[in-house]
Amino acid sequence: MLSNRARLIVKTIVSTVLGLGVIGVVGGLIVLRGGFYNISATESHYPLIYTVFEEGLQYSIQNHARDIQVPELGAPEQLLRGAAIYAANCVQCHGGPGTAPSRHGMSMQPVPGPLVDADTNWRARELYWITRHGIKMSGMPAWEYHLSDSDIWATVAFVSAMPAMTVQDFKRMTAAGADTTSVPKAVVESARASAKEDES
Amino acid sequence: MSRATRRAQIAIVLAASMLAGCAPNRPPPGVQGDPQRGKIALTQYACHSCHSVPGVAGSKVYVGRPLEGLDKRRYIAGKAPNSQATLVRFIRDPQAIDPGNAMPTLGVSERDALDISAYLLSQ
Repeated sequence: MLSNRARLIVKTIVSTVLGLGVIGVVGGLIVLRGGFYNISATESHYPLIYTVFEEGLQYSIQNHARDIQVPELGAPEQLLRGAAIYAANCVQCHGGPGTAPSRHGMSMQPVPGPLVDADTNWRARELYWITRHGIKMSGMPAWEYHLSDSDIWATVAFVSAMPAMTVQDFKRMTAAGADTTSVPKAVVESARASAKEDES
Repeated sequence: MSRATRRAQIAIVLAASMLAGCAPNRPPPGVQGDPQRGKIALTQYACHSCHSVPGVAGSKVYVGRPLEGLDKRRYIAGKAPNSQATLVRFIRDPQAIDPGNAMPTLGVSERDALDISAYLLSQ
């Protein structure tokens, strides 16, 4: 049997925890039901929350994409196919070198990042995972049920070669009826290199 | 002076300086436009998707130049002598000032560009 003193200590701990729990729930409900949080897309995120979410996103993607095998990338036909898909589905939110996103892409929150620097943030297999599965609560849709696997890889090839494109290269490759003569050598090499990087 | 009043004083000074940190910096004299409105406007044209902008939450991104200390720069885009009018013109039509650079024309209205420049020049 516990001594009186021990019983008092246990009682105090339990009632403190319960009391704090009740206060927390009531406080949370007041904030939730009061509608005090501003959900508008013109109100910035709190910098700390943004940073924590972004880190979580990076670790999640690294983890989920770790076993994906990257095929060979960078054939000019594949890059052209990727350019056509990018022009039809991606440029509206992400824009491109010298090309602005559409209005709805510019005023989203979080803002869809540019992909010109995608190679510094993501490996090819991670770009594939993001394109295929999308990202919750960010506006990034999943393409798994809308694009074939080879089309997703073509998009990845195009995106990972984007740092090697000039403003003109991007315009030429994404233009309707572009042919393989519009694909510069540097772009082919860049896509090849990003696939190779992932093999190691 | 008692210890308690001293502590209270320190707390007040700290709280005041934190509040001052939240308030928008005053634009330098001669700068037109509404910096508060400009801060929101710049997020509606996705400036912060490519530029790191002081006071605006976003990813670490270096696609465009960081937009800190714009009031201290000598040149806009390294080309045109810095003035608010030039900055407004660059925001609206970057190719006119620096042809071939990777910043697209984003369809920024005159008023929005003026307010955005007011915000950037007061950071």
